[in-house]
Amino acid sequence: MVVDDHPMWREAVARDLTAAGFEVVAAVGEGAQALRVVQAVSPDVVVLDLQLPDVSGVEVVLGLLAAQPGTRVLILSVSGEQQDVLDAVKAGAAGYMVKSVGRAEFIDAVQRTAAGDAVFTPGLAGLVLGEFRRLAADRGPAGASGPPLTEREIEILRMVATGLSYKQIAERLVLSHRTVQNHVQNTLSKLHLHNRVELVRYAIEHGLDTGMDGPGASRRGS
Amino acid sequence: MGLQAPLWRATAVFRFASLAYAAVLLVLNRTNYSHLGWAWGVLAAMTAWTVVTSYAYAQPSRRTRVLLAADLVVTGAALLSSAVVQNAQSTHAGAMPVTATWVAGPVLAWAVTAGPLGGVSAAAALGLCDIALRQRPVSDVYHGTELNGPILLLLAGVGVGYVSRLAAQAERALQRATKIEAASRERERLARGIHDSVLQVLALVQRRGAEAGGEAAEIGRLAGEQEAALRSLIAAGAESSLPSGELDLRTLLTPETSASVSVATPAEPIRLAAEPARELTHAVRAALDNVRRHCREGTMAWVLVEDEGGRVTVTIRDDGQGIPPGRLAEAAADGRLGVSQAICGRVRELGGSASITSTPGGGTEVQLQIPRADQMA
Repeated sequence: MVVDDHPMWREAVARDLTAAGFEVVAAVGEGAQALRVVQAVSPDVVVLDLQLPDVSGVEVVLGLLAAQPGTRVLILSVSGEQQDVLDAVKAGAAGYMVKSVGRAEFIDAVQRTAAGDAVFTPGLAGLVLGEFRRLAADRGPAGASGPPLTEREIEILRMVATGLSYKQIAERLVLSHRTVQNHVQNTLSKLHLHNRVELVRYAIEHGLDTGMDGPGASRRGS
Repeated sequence: MGLQAPLWRATAVFRFASLAYAAVLLVLNRTNYSHLGWAWGVLAAMTAWTVVTSYAYAQPSRRTRVLLAADLVVTGAALLSSAVVQNAQSTHAGAMPVTATWVAGPVLAWAVTAGPLGGVSAAAALGLCDIALRQRPVSDVYHGTELNGPILLLLAGVGVGYVSRLAAQAERALQRATKIEAASRERERLARGIHDSVLQVLALVQRRGAEAGGEAAEIGRLAGEQEAALRSLIAAGAESSLPSGELDLRTLLTPETSASVSVATPAEPIRLAAEPARELTHAVRAALDNVRRHCREGTMAWVLVEDEGGRVTVTIRDDGQGIPPGRLAEAAADGRLGVSQAICGRVRELGGSASITSTPGGGTEVQLQIPRADQMA
């Protein structure tokens, strides 16, 4: 499913996807519409523009994943890697691509997303590194809020941030390509976990959780 | 006036407290009064007036000149009534008039409304009444304690009046600042919308150009460069305010983004003192310049900025042809500055460290680390 409010982009993306052999089940221009349609069309991958006119990108990601838990969301954005991209990835997106990348790179990113891999740009890696550092610094008084990154994961993330491809990283660290991909995927999963823990803790602290089971209550509320 | 509300509340509290004090005094100093019954009558009138004024002054619309004048007149009358209800000797000897400290009420009210001048006028009027009450010859007034009361009234008038005026000025400044902030946020929001649609089109042009090839590809490439420039401009513009003397390293380094340079930073500001921040930026620019000068056209460079709490680390990697082993040390030994001074020297001066690793054909990696002056989480 393609979600982008710019009609020319929607067409271009849909066309490229179809030409590459993907089936475009829906192409919508609004976040609300996307949330309405997603359950009906059950996409495997959602290509989502972060700048939608009606709903914030983060809310769309949360809504899509809540309605269709197995779907993978690939975020596209023009504005570069900033807090909003980080928030969307924290909320559960599987990866991020800049809009201006060439067709080949874009199709490759969609394929990797569909296969279950995380798609990171160097900028996103920098944001995620910063986020884990922030969590580690905040963690002190509050206690553990989820697993920190391992040394290896930090090392690999830094290499991604300085533009190395997975193949190059695998060569440097004498690992298999698959292992590198797994490390990056683990990083994303940890990030999602941290985010869920944070949300639950926030809910508990603010008295929003009245049931006995924490995570269930917060999902009920969203 | 929002900021003056506490002043009005304080005035009301003062009046009630003084009322209680006057009642206590009346009981204790019964003997001073020739017409005790009337004195209680005056006290009752004072109570009524206190209730009326406390209610009236609570609302800005009711704080009219008529009310203020009436306040002064009623208080003055209550004050002067002491001439009738008190013993002549007691008054002459300096006993407190039946109003006691309650007399300061209008002084405070005038001071809050009209500033120091208002406070002084009311204080002068009531002070004169007070002095007249004593019926002392003019020369004696200076020697006795009669002036204490009026002078304290004047002090209260000036002090409270000044504070009230400051509060009014602060309120106006705050309103102005809020309006400016709202206007600039609105502008920012509009600008963001415009930027986004510009970026969308530029990205689309780049893509289409690349697909079409030929001249269109050239236009697409130019569009791509402008898109990168605009993106970094926006990123640089959206900064939060920092304490003076500190800079956000991200806003200094993100503008280096271009079609061939990528800058990766955390989502939060990286705060550094101004001097090290600028020096570090110069070092990074020097490293990027090296890439442009020594490497082939089309070489990409990646800059990673990390905030590790106690220190800030900047890594610059390029995929150029690399520097042959030994060349670096050679250049430094030969005294040819460039790499050595511009980058390493600067960083070392800041108390940090720099390392350059390079393999022929494998690009070059420059890592700069600068400690923070004070530990910040």
